[in-house]
Amino acid sequence: MNIYRFIEQNMDQVLTLGLEHLYLVFLSLFIAMVTGIPTGIAITKNDRLAKKVLDVANVLMTVPSIALFGVMLPVLAPFGVGLGKVPAVVALVLYSELPIIRNTYIAIKNVDSSLVDAGKGMGLSRWQLLREVEIPIAIPVILAGLRTAAVMTIGIAAIAAYIGAGGLGVFIQQGISRSYEEMIITGALGVSILAILVDTGMALIERCLTSKGLKIEA
Amino acid sequence: MIEYRNVRKVYGNGKESVTAVRDISLQIKPGEVVVFLGPSGCGKTTMLRMTNKLEEISGGDILVDGKSIRELNPVQLRRSMGYVIQQIGLFPNKTIYENIAMIPRVLKWDKAKIDERVAHLLKLVKLDPETYSSRYPAELSGGQQQRVGVARALAADPDILLMDEPFGAIDPINRDQIQDEFMRLQARLKKTIVFVSHDIHEAIKMADRIAIFKDGKIVQFDTPEMILTQPKNKFVSDFVGADRALKVLGLIRARDAMNTSPKNVLPAEMKSPEALEFMVENNKKTCIVLDKGKPVGYVTPKLLKFEEGPVTDVTEPFQIFVEDDEPLREVLSSMLMDSMAFYCVVDDNGDFKGTITYLNIQNKILEFYDDDNN
Repeated sequence: MNIYRFIEQNMDQVLTLGLEHLYLVFLSLFIAMVTGIPTGIAITKNDRLAKKVLDVANVLMTVPSIALFGVMLPVLAPFGVGLGKVPAVVALVLYSELPIIRNTYIAIKNVDSSLVDAGKGMGLSRWQLLREVEIPIAIPVILAGLRTAAVMTIGIAAIAAYIGAGGLGVFIQQGISRSYEEMIITGALGVSILAILVDTGMALIERCLTSKGLKIEA
Repeated sequence: MIEYRNVRKVYGNGKESVTAVRDISLQIKPGEVVVFLGPSGCGKTTMLRMTNKLEEISGGDILVDGKSIRELNPVQLRRSMGYVIQQIGLFPNKTIYENIAMIPRVLKWDKAKIDERVAHLLKLVKLDPETYSSRYPAELSGGQQQRVGVARALAADPDILLMDEPFGAIDPINRDQIQDEFMRLQARLKKTIVFVSHDIHEAIKMADRIAIFKDGKIVQFDTPEMILTQPKNKFVSDFVGADRALKVLGLIRARDAMNTSPKNVLPAEMKSPEALEFMVENNKKTCIVLDKGKPVGYVTPKLLKFEEGPVTDVTEPFQIFVEDDEPLREVLSSMLMDSMAFYCVVDDNGDFKGTITYLNIQNKILEFYDDDNN
């Protein structure tokens, strides 16, 4: 096995594909985050709507990724983006929504009702209560959702190579079709290392953003 | 000044509706502590929560300083009232300083003024600002947390405080202490306080007036004395308890029951033989010796026998003095554990004010009930 040699010789491509992979993941995560967190917060005010939104997100998660990429094709083809990065990002966003929306919803719902009562009773507006109390307390759980979404998205993005989105999946896909073992392993290794790095990084962010007061063992 | 006018609260609608508060009217005067007292589910908490619009009123109106709360923005209204709850509700993600500074900060006070206010409030509730400002709620005991809860409610200096069983979750020893401190604070601050409680002892201790709730209505709205001595019906007397005469003891001070002109008093300069003669003649078993208006101790004929000098030579010091503002409950408790037949009542300076005996206490209680039965 000459994986070292392969990586050494193809360093440029490894880096390019790795960055491309990260780009896909972070773009999707970013979109999922700016849509998912507000959605998760919004549905805490309406239990029936919450159930519907969470059901839809749940169903989306059950669709196999390769199938979802396939479905993207006819849907986005009329706009001329049936293949490539756009359908990949759309699919990754859809996958990420569930852990993000669900964790946000649960985290906000679980904020001790006496804190909400005290906050409202002292005269905080809805927005102030959210900003000062509910979100800071919910942050660890919301970030855990993001973390789950990130790790999952890194894995699924590898499959997006089949619809021409690029990323480390390219090594795996091409390696399989060419029976090129070193190439497959390089791709798989790269995806795993990315997942571990991102997971560790997010754990660190989670720790930094959690208020000291929440870490004290009462 | 808070005025409730035919206030009604109905939950749900149609056949399944539940009426929690039925057309209650009452007025709370500025600087007054009114306790809403009653069993759970009687509507007392709902009534309190309608005051700051945490619950919508279904009918009637509540006027705060003459203005209908229906016309006021809930956020503005709530900022004009402090709110303290049983679960305390300190924000765990914020330090004690940040918790107290919350509303002043939202009101855009400048930093120096907030700093000063927080330090002042922490001192008021007997917590050292230097030690506690930067701590988090989880680092404080329940009693300390509720002190912060009270400080937070006072932050923007509201005229009105709404308190929903604020000391209910604190252990009995600390509760007693925090209630005492709170009453001392209230004596200085003179806030208008609406206080929800299910504890009759607490109500008697804190209230200027008590409103007893039952099934969404007020059964009796009166001073603690009147509630104890003249319960309006069986519900109130049952709620107050069979030991209400003992509870009355908590309301009467020693100075109200004492004998202000006892005959068994001797000046410190008097010589022993003279004193003995006086005691035998008047058939006194014990005499108090007063030196410049202060009781120094007591003498008995046995102590005076065969003595020649001034009475102070043989005076036995008192073990216990009663402060004139001590409740009879405590005086009686001391008497039950002690062999003294009477106590000297003294004021802050230690000056002699009178004496108090079992008989004085009993007479006072009887008098209390007689007054009311007329």
